[in-house]
Amino acid sequence: MAVIEADALTKTFPLRGRRQACPVEAVRGISFSVERGERIAYIGPNGAGKSTSIKMLTGILHPSGGTATVLDLVPWRSRRALAARIGTLFGQRSQLWFELPPRRGFRLLGAIYGLPDDVARRRVDELGALLDAADLFDVPVRNLSLGQRMRCELAATLLHSPQVLFLDEPTIGLDLLAKQRFRDLVVRVNADQGATIFMTSHDVADIEQVARRVIVINHGVLIYDDEVSAMRRTLLATKLIEVAFERPPGQVCLAGVQVTESSTTGMKLVVDTTMRSIRDVLDTLLDRYPVADISVVDPPLEQVISAIYAAPRA
Amino acid sequence: MLLATVRGAFAEAWANRQSFWLQVGAMAVNDLAWVAFWLLFFNRVANVRGWDVGRVLLLFAVLTTVAGVVLGVFANARRLGRLAAEGQLDAVLGLPVRPLPYLLLRRVEAANLGDVLFGGLLFAAAGAPSPQRVLLYVVGSIAGIVLLTGFLVTVGSLAFFGGNGEAGELGFHAILLLAGYPVDVFAGGMKLMLYTVLPAALVAAVPARLVDAFDVRAAGLLAGAAAIFALLGWATFTLGLRRYTSGAVWTRA
Repeated sequence: MAVIEADALTKTFPLRGRRQACPVEAVRGISFSVERGERIAYIGPNGAGKSTSIKMLTGILHPSGGTATVLDLVPWRSRRALAARIGTLFGQRSQLWFELPPRRGFRLLGAIYGLPDDVARRRVDELGALLDAADLFDVPVRNLSLGQRMRCELAATLLHSPQVLFLDEPTIGLDLLAKQRFRDLVVRVNADQGATIFMTSHDVADIEQVARRVIVINHGVLIYDDEVSAMRRTLLATKLIEVAFERPPGQVCLAGVQVTESSTTGMKLVVDTTMRSIRDVLDTLLDRYPVADISVVDPPLEQVISAIYAAPRA
Repeated sequence: MLLATVRGAFAEAWANRQSFWLQVGAMAVNDLAWVAFWLLFFNRVANVRGWDVGRVLLLFAVLTTVAGVVLGVFANARRLGRLAAEGQLDAVLGLPVRPLPYLLLRRVEAANLGDVLFGGLLFAAAGAPSPQRVLLYVVGSIAGIVLLTGFLVTVGSLAFFGGNGEAGELGFHAILLLAGYPVDVFAGGMKLMLYTVLPAALVAAVPARLVDAFDVRAAGLLAGAAAIFALLGWATFTLGLRRYTSGAVWTRA
């Protein structure tokens, strides 16, 4: 059963103060459907139209054309009714009261969502355990780190047990550990609470670690919609390795590995993970060469998008 | 729901009590300086077009009460233009609330609560309070509060239709500056403006006059104007919200 349906959704922003300038087409006729319980990564580079899409789907923005339903409601016509059934978390916005501890903010939000006091209290305890954040709930928000604050913001978003969770760039600005922790929590929320996850990001790792399905948009147009496993086989089949050496390593020649940059002290390698596992490449490098430092990174999103455009159309 | 919002806003303002009282006290001292100015002024000039020191202090008591409540309790009324222009309404629109009342009640400015306190004390000291005068002071102040809030919401909501919220800031400064003067020092077109498009006369001067000499026509004018500006504010905000374009900055509403 579809919980989100978008049909030719379009948003055009007028350019203020410039009479001759063309309006900006942020989202151009996007259509897709999301089933209950899915985990969707809605990705694209900066300015692709991700946030604009999510804001239309949550009723914050009115579209210029097309239509959409979320839980059978048209978001911009039934924003309040929808807000009571979905959770919305913006990576750059806060729902909590800055000077108050989150627990106090949860109580106020509970009243706003119409939760009885005892239900809200029980729910906060559940969320504290689920998100491993109970110890943070009594610290004023202004004293929390960004990562801690995002866990509390997630708890605030989950307070009323939403059926669909819209997460707009929730990992932006977080360090690697905090990002990883946040991704794990989102997956756990999907598994434990059954909430459908719709998450925007421009981080390739969010796709691999959170989503089961990925929708890619670029310049406001939907360019890819498939299972993450399919994308992994085709478009995410490479990893980048950066190696620093203690002394010149000589010739590096490994099957499934391409050297893209080389100097006497370092190399950049591209690994085709369909041919050879990253673990195997790392083991080989560490065994055979004088490695001083090594790091593995995902290909940048721009590279994935280029690959989508370059891929032969079915 | 609104009660929870008010509780949250006051709890946040009250979280740092030392700072809260410091701000309240600083504003009261600032208001006291104005009173000193008017006392010195009327020490040299007996009256200005029928306004003597007693009437001006009453005007100032009403003004500080009205402005204190609007800028202190409905603190976002003044910030609405900026919030709309900078796309800071997203978090509010993600909640199952009516955005305008929620926004108005979401933030309390401690400093302006000092105005409210000062206004009440000044009325008690210089307003010759009697049961009838207290009633007129309270009802007149409520009308002024509704009118000033409606005006600020209206000019702030113009940001939805263009600009960077500067209309809201200009409107805020203009109305408060002019509301502090005895309205009869102005004449002609300027005076007409103060009763209509920039209703500074109705914020404090008319309520203060009603306390001194109740007049049904003036009371009707005040009530009507308050209702019109409240309606105008609601309509401008509601229509403007459809044109909201959001933004991308880290902040809270």
